[in-house]
Amino acid sequence: MKNTIKDIETILNENLNRIEAFIHSHPKVNFLFGALFEAADGLIRSTRDTAKNPPFIRNSMDVKQYMGGILVALFFGWVVPAIYFYGFLCVIPKLIVSFVVGVFVVDVIWVILAGEERINEGGFVTCLFIPAFLPPQAPLWLIGVGAAISILFRNILGGVGHNLVNPALFGRLMLTICFPTMVVSGWQEPSTGIPTIQSLMHGVDAVTHATPLIAFKETGETASFLSLMFGANTGSLGETCRVALIITGIWLCVKRIANWRIPIAYLGSVFIFSAILSAIAGKTVAPPIFQLLSGGLIFGAFFMATDPITTTYSQSGKWIFGIGCGLITVIIRGYTPIPEGVMYAILLMNLLSIPIQSIILKIKYRM
Amino acid sequence: MTKIKRMKKAYKKGFNLIEAYPVEFSETVILVKYDGPVDNFSFSFPDKKVEHIIVNLCPTEPWALPNRAVLRNRTHDFLNKLETVRSKYFPDSHCHVVVNHHEATLFNELNQYKAGANRIPPFAKGEYLHLHTIKPVYPYDAPVLIVKNILGLDIAFGQNAAEQGILLLDPQNVTGIFEYYIKENEFNTRLIPISGTGLKDNKILKVKPGTPLKRMLELYVRTDIKYRVFLDGLLNGAEVKDLTQKIDWSTRNIVVVEERDYKSLFPYTKVNELLFTTSLMGELRRCVYCNHCDDICPVNLEPALYWHCYDRGEKHKARTYALEKCIECGLCSFICPSKLELFQVIKECKSLK
Repeated sequence: MKNTIKDIETILNENLNRIEAFIHSHPKVNFLFGALFEAADGLIRSTRDTAKNPPFIRNSMDVKQYMGGILVALFFGWVVPAIYFYGFLCVIPKLIVSFVVGVFVVDVIWVILAGEERINEGGFVTCLFIPAFLPPQAPLWLIGVGAAISILFRNILGGVGHNLVNPALFGRLMLTICFPTMVVSGWQEPSTGIPTIQSLMHGVDAVTHATPLIAFKETGETASFLSLMFGANTGSLGETCRVALIITGIWLCVKRIANWRIPIAYLGSVFIFSAILSAIAGKTVAPPIFQLLSGGLIFGAFFMATDPITTTYSQSGKWIFGIGCGLITVIIRGYTPIPEGVMYAILLMNLLSIPIQSIILKIKYRM
Repeated sequence: MTKIKRMKKAYKKGFNLIEAYPVEFSETVILVKYDGPVDNFSFSFPDKKVEHIIVNLCPTEPWALPNRAVLRNRTHDFLNKLETVRSKYFPDSHCHVVVNHHEATLFNELNQYKAGANRIPPFAKGEYLHLHTIKPVYPYDAPVLIVKNILGLDIAFGQNAAEQGILLLDPQNVTGIFEYYIKENEFNTRLIPISGTGLKDNKILKVKPGTPLKRMLELYVRTDIKYRVFLDGLLNGAEVKDLTQKIDWSTRNIVVVEERDYKSLFPYTKVNELLFTTSLMGELRRCVYCNHCDDICPVNLEPALYWHCYDRGEKHKARTYALEKCIECGLCSFICPSKLELFQVIKECKSLK
């Protein structure tokens, strides 16, 4: 058995080497397919590069594992619960559309036209975010447009490492501007209880009109915390099952892929500010625990706000970033007609992180 | 009166290399015969009065010489030598012996010696000897950190500690000074550990300084693979291109590592195979602000800032971010998931006057 695997490995390795040599010896082929081959090859083979400068050994963690960790966390955090609540046929086509449009069309064309070296795996993370913060009954084309805008925007700004704001959230912002009714309608009742084949495939066919946050805005009623926690409530596709999101988010923090300071600062400040404001203003501001468990807050705090490139580099800046996100979220939820403010909060703080970073550096190093 | 100081918060993390790259040396010490010209032992005694002697018995790199090779189960002998050297050349100085906090037997032996030295009249100077324990985490035995941790004194990186009256003594040099200057015996061999994935076996060699590297390694290197040879550790050591180079009295260790300059399939299933090689273990990417480098930095710097300065073409600005504190341990480059050459950038920025 072991020998067969070894034989297959050698054959595969040799053929890949042959393809690589062929691509590199033909400039025109290289122009069109070089980056594609590099990306596919990079997934199954290690690099040829060796350390030329000290230190001559390197740690095994690389960006691929980093992004892979986020993908795994997102998969168990929202894809698996969403299949349970809304059905296979609701979730999987959206993912396929998002990946195909975002990564395999927009990113590939961009890489070929711009002559970049390889396709970045960060695109998968962005495209996995897109369906998660749209309603379960959002049309497929909406998701395709969102993915395309996100990836295009990220690439225009210079690709992974140079993005100013979280590209997935920027895509969602554009969708909110262009199709304002579509991103806030089409909520679906999740199917709960023991799953049947019917519910796992299609979900339940019941459309409602309000998420808990909208309901609170209109009537002042808060949903039960238990149903919010386990996802038996309406909401965007990926944000409802908070237990799974919290568990995978903590896993990300333990693996040091996400920085633990941001979720703690974000959730803590939402709790504190909403406690203070609801004590002062009464019913206009939702009570703290309801705020924590509703909308996309948990999803945003663990997965969107922790996107490392768009936060500050300094560790102390991350506290300020998280607290700022929390404050803006509570204010938008409480004092504006918009029911949910996580997206705006994170986008605003993404932009503010640059001045925060430079001020912190000035204080720290006394320039 | 043992002094077990707790780790001060002067520095953060470091990296436990010994756990990540376990290296086992074989028990026996092998003598390498060489008839060519050899260097004689010499030790440059500092001009200034020495107040503190620090003897480090806690190597933090797996490829460093293990204690047992120097002590050879005769800790008391070694300490007697140390005492003789101290009283002859550095009177009125304090000796600080640093031990790995896991090595309880060694620590007990040292304590016994200290108690005994207090009791027996001719040696009633037990208070000159101080024991310290540290965690075997790289780079806690770097001069800057060890002085800071044990004496609470600040020395700058690259500054000679002797200017502040501190002498950092290699355990082998203690033996050397004792044998050569006090006993006036012949002393012309040095213990050099050789290790790494490029060798058939990890050995401790007894070599006459002046011996070419080729002579030392020829029996032990693997011939079926490509390898590269490094002096004084992999993290901040130097590569040896020319194997006829001779080793000298300052050589601490030799590491021979496999050169993995070809692609291997499914690297995630064979991380162990790739780990102790020169492979970058990933592709070169842009900085993703992951904060791994400033989490690991032992002196609380933020190495990615230097990278950003360098990337923007503002090398001169790097100095404003406390660059002079860097102790050049190389951990930032080691940990970087984007495989950036942070250490090289830091060196370049430092060389800019």
